[in-house]
Amino acid sequence: MSDGGNASKLIEVQDITRVFHVGGEEVRALRGVSFGISRGEWVAIIGQSGSGKSTLMNVLGCLDTPSSGRYTLNGKDVSRMSDDELAVIRNEEIGFIFQTFQLLPRETALANVELPLVYRGIPARERKARATAALEKVQLAHRMHHRPNELSGGQRQRVAIARALVAEPSMLLADEPTGNLDSATGEEIVRLFAELHQAGNTLVLVTHEPKLAARCPRAIRLSDGEVVADGPGREVALGIGQSVMAAGGT
Amino acid sequence: MKLKLPQGVRVDVVEGARIAVFSLKANRLRTVLTTMGIGIGVATLLAIVGIIQGLNTSFHRQLATFGANTIYVSKFPWIIKGDWWMYRNRKDITLDQVERLRHAAPFLTALSPSVQRVSDVEHGGEQLSTVRIQGVTQEYLAISGYEVTAGRFLTEADDETTRPVAVIGTEVADGLFPGISPLGRTIRVDNRTFQVVGTLSRKGKVLNQSMDLVVFIPFKTFYSSFGKGRRIEIAMAVEDASKLKQAEDQLVGILRRIRSTPPGQPDDFSINKPEAMAQTYEQLTGALYGVAVGVGLITLLVGGIGIMNIMLVSVRERTREIGVRRALGARKRTIVFQFLMEAASVSAVGGLLGTTVGLGTAKVVSLITPLAADVQAGTVAGGVGFAALVGLLFGIWPAARAANLDPVEALRYE
Repeated sequence: MSDGGNASKLIEVQDITRVFHVGGEEVRALRGVSFGISRGEWVAIIGQSGSGKSTLMNVLGCLDTPSSGRYTLNGKDVSRMSDDELAVIRNEEIGFIFQTFQLLPRETALANVELPLVYRGIPARERKARATAALEKVQLAHRMHHRPNELSGGQRQRVAIARALVAEPSMLLADEPTGNLDSATGEEIVRLFAELHQAGNTLVLVTHEPKLAARCPRAIRLSDGEVVADGPGREVALGIGQSVMAAGGT
Repeated sequence: MKLKLPQGVRVDVVEGARIAVFSLKANRLRTVLTTMGIGIGVATLLAIVGIIQGLNTSFHRQLATFGANTIYVSKFPWIIKGDWWMYRNRKDITLDQVERLRHAAPFLTALSPSVQRVSDVEHGGEQLSTVRIQGVTQEYLAISGYEVTAGRFLTEADDETTRPVAVIGTEVADGLFPGISPLGRTIRVDNRTFQVVGTLSRKGKVLNQSMDLVVFIPFKTFYSSFGKGRRIEIAMAVEDASKLKQAEDQLVGILRRIRSTPPGQPDDFSINKPEAMAQTYEQLTGALYGVAVGVGLITLLVGGIGIMNIMLVSVRERTREIGVRRALGARKRTIVFQFLMEAASVSAVGGLLGTTVGLGTAKVVSLITPLAADVQAGTVAGGVGFAALVGLLFGIWPAARAANLDPVEALRYE
């Protein structure tokens, strides 16, 4: 039913597996994962370490391709794309937010935010205007000429969020975005995510923290490379209710 | 969009160059040190090549004064290769052989026997030492390339009647007769008196030996004054340089006949040509050239390995940066460009630096030594271009490594 007609789903993951070969042994990090995410959703992917959530994040972020199965992003089958094609998809469809911020240390906040636009081939003037606007969205316009080491952790993550937003991707993909922040700053960032969700952005948040997943309208729990629960964030995160669903199908 | 390049390539080049410059500035000390490897290579190469080119040019200029249509025969070759005694034991060339050669070789436009010694020469209170005293005949003037600036050259009559007359070079004239005309005055050579009848034009130095510290006297006068025991050289000229090879072949036959060399025996005389000397000289410097260029290339190779090393460090250091760039949409090609540009710019800077130092060295050498350095434009362009090429070449592997990093791994790198 996902073929053709259902254009409202931004992400369609069908029976995805990912097998690694480590020292002659086969490690099955994903064993047939299926789900869909619609435009404008805010979804947490939760699981213990080793559950396969990082592998899933890499596949969703087009940094890695599945061993089998089908992944359709914004109507495009990206599961069999070449390296160069994936680079373009990453640039146009995905805004990454990392636990360790991953800002370039020698560049200013502004230059960091401009980077996705550089790779899209946007002229310098327009780049600067758009990057400034993105920094304004995260209330950091006044710090845009500072380098990352002159910014606090929360500010750095907001620069990273501005960088993810600037190219107007179809989804924001965040990997433990509060993991390196104290709880007060983390709370600030979560509130920023809520705002972005309100504004209509699609957010996928990968985390092992139930408390964070509980704040999301929807959560998908991964265990041993399989989806074991999919439902309202609070229920899946805290393991209450009856959100355990048959994986696959939809 | 002013540039008409395809967008992808434009991003690669513009962004690659920007990052390269940025990174070179950020690691100034490292850049300078890396640059030095290539720079020293280029400098070595340029300095040596410049000096050798200079040597060759000056040698050719000197040889040109000998005349390209001249040929000399004597017991010894000008450049002795092998056993000196073999040449020493050859039969002497006699005056009789010279006369027989004159009749047998009508293709020669001029021929003169020549003998020489080195003596002190005096006039009044002035004395010059180590002056070349050379006994020749009238025809020698045409072969030697001197011109008479005052008076006359030696004549046949001078020779026939063994007149004590002399024609002197500019250094002798200037040394013994400062400010006055030497014509009609006398000079003393080993207690013998000669009357100066002519002066010669300046010829300069050949192989650091002055051609102007010379006194020409009639051949027979030389014999009667200084004895007959000296080695005779036969100086000859042909119409022009194109006839030289043919003349040489004929001369060999004639001389073997005159000197009755048995068939099957090697020639017992040497035919010397300024032109052949140039060839020998070039062989000599050619070998030196090869060695020097080899040394320079090895230095460049070492410099190149230095670049590769530092680029590998740079790639490792910036693994996470590469991961971030890849995650944000940089293609492999873009990453390759970034690192190639960096390697090529370091090398080009090194090449430029090396060129300056190399040229400077060659210049200094030519100022403080008799060696005349002469760096040709092609050499300079070659040096800089080669340095950049070395950088590119040695940058390929590190750049490819950077581009082939797995983005996931790169992002996780600590």
